[in-house]
Amino acid sequence: MNVVVCVKQIPDPAAPQRLDPETKTLVREGKLILDDSDAYGVEMGLQLAEQAGGGEVTLVSMAPGGETSGLRTALAMGAAKAILVSDDALKGSDALATAKVLAKAIERAQPDLVIAATESTDGYTGTMPVQLAELLGLPSVTFAKKVSVGDGAVQVQRQTEAGYDEVQCPLPAVVTVTAGVVEPRYPSFKGIMAAKNKPVDQLTVAELGIDASQVGLAGAGQEVTEVEDAEARSGGQIVVDEGEGFQQVVQFLEQLKLV
Amino acid sequence: MQFAFDDRQVEFRAQLRALAEKECTPADLRAAWESAPGWSADRWRALGDMGILAVTVPEAQGGLGLGFVDLVLLLEEAGRSGLPEPVVETVAVAAPLFAALGTDASGRWLEGIASGEVAVGVAAPPGAPEGPGGPVLVNAGGALLVLPSAGGALHVVETTGAGSAGLALEPKRSVDGARHLVEVGGEPPAETEVAAAGPGLELWRRACDRGAWGTAAVLLGVADRLVGFGAEHAKARVQFGKPIGSFQAVKHHLAGALVRLEFARPLVYAAAWALDEGDEEAPRLVSMAKSAASDAASVAASVALQVHGAIGYTWEHDLHLWMKRAWALGAAWGDAGWHRARLLGQISW
Repeated sequence: MNVVVCVKQIPDPAAPQRLDPETKTLVREGKLILDDSDAYGVEMGLQLAEQAGGGEVTLVSMAPGGETSGLRTALAMGAAKAILVSDDALKGSDALATAKVLAKAIERAQPDLVIAATESTDGYTGTMPVQLAELLGLPSVTFAKKVSVGDGAVQVQRQTEAGYDEVQCPLPAVVTVTAGVVEPRYPSFKGIMAAKNKPVDQLTVAELGIDASQVGLAGAGQEVTEVEDAEARSGGQIVVDEGEGFQQVVQFLEQLKLV
Repeated sequence: MQFAFDDRQVEFRAQLRALAEKECTPADLRAAWESAPGWSADRWRALGDMGILAVTVPEAQGGLGLGFVDLVLLLEEAGRSGLPEPVVETVAVAAPLFAALGTDASGRWLEGIASGEVAVGVAAPPGAPEGPGGPVLVNAGGALLVLPSAGGALHVVETTGAGSAGLALEPKRSVDGARHLVEVGGEPPAETEVAAAGPGLELWRRACDRGAWGTAAVLLGVADRLVGFGAEHAKARVQFGKPIGSFQAVKHHLAGALVRLEFARPLVYAAAWALDEGDEEAPRLVSMAKSAASDAASVAASVALQVHGAIGYTWEHDLHLWMKRAWALGAAWGDAGWHRARLLGQISW
């Protein structure tokens, strides 16, 4: 079974993030790393391919400057190859444009299953995977906390607020996985050494047959018009308990309509 | 000429750090203090799966066939994260020794090391030929013991096999509770001999150099962690309306400890290169590295303790877990004084 895993390479969340004052988009300079939330999808893809007794995992990613650092991490985990779309025309792309680009790249890989994270750690739109499914004409299942494949279908336990739904869906399909789905493996040193020589197919927008005006800032259907700092948290109110503190707690909760 | 570590070596370190952050927390270290072998078989397997234990094992035995320059950042990271497993004994001391033996048995042991099934302890029993090991070993809790005998022959004993029958292994307390020591009594039986007196002594001398060097690399990481503890506390603890790190009497202490560490680092790296190349300077560089790293870790421990004030003395604070490691490893495989004396003996003018 061939699995495509969509992975995002993001600026290191441990480093301070900056917004471009002009475009109000995230500055993506220097080394990018594999989004932690994608490690779960990569692990899930690897396990499903192993369980199916054959096939491989192909990574699909879109990143500026031909960046492959994050892809190498996922290749070191065991993915077989990667398709990277990198093009100056993509700068400022919104979720829909990203989905259009990834869809074209995924079509080349002809997968039985497409896996993505629920949302990225830097953008948090959470809309890209379902847009991708629509563009590919595939069914999609979101918020998977358990995934198995058999009889030409994917069985998913889909996380809900109350518990989970059991969903079955014919393949090929797009599945988004939560952080609970599997425990990602650490890349082994042999994997890191092998990853250097694994193929990364780098493509431009033109090579995918996409009109450059459909993507990037020019093609974005939305615009960030203003950015403001989050409001600082106020100090709160300290209640000295003289035997009746509980009443004030109850009053406070009543105000919030919580009791 | 390339003096910096390459991407691969830095990536290896990053992966070990990621593993240790999850699998070797201060709570895990406290558990290691309480447990019988002092370390965890599960963590040993995880280290094996990642490939750290295979770094110096030849490719023919399933290893990576890499050298000490590839290993040094990993040992440093092992010290920083406080890993209590016998990585130095197994990867730096035993694996190159077994590779040099080139026998069927040593090939099997190497395969066991590479796959994470075999951990190795090293001991120098009383009366053993020259070497700084001392009469104790880290309890490998498992498979193999490397032992020099009084006559200079080298033995490898499978601790669960018949060869260990004549040996008395007596537990000894270490100041570092995660370092469970055993004193070895008795003579290993003849059938466990892997090298006769002449070549055995030469192999043992080189093994001791690697042990001292590997421990020096670990001490760099221990010192780094201790300076980090001190710097963090100096920024967080406020007195007279300011973080205490803003006062010269505190920050100069910490800067002094950092300078000791930064001066020890290139010596350890140079010794790694010399060991890889079989350079004749290697023993001298190893002694310089071990004396500088032992001193750096000792200074870092006392400065970190002083910066913390009374809280640093408490059992509940994590500082002592690294401070005691610095003391224990500073004395292992020859302390700073032993190595300075050896260095003096090697210098002629």
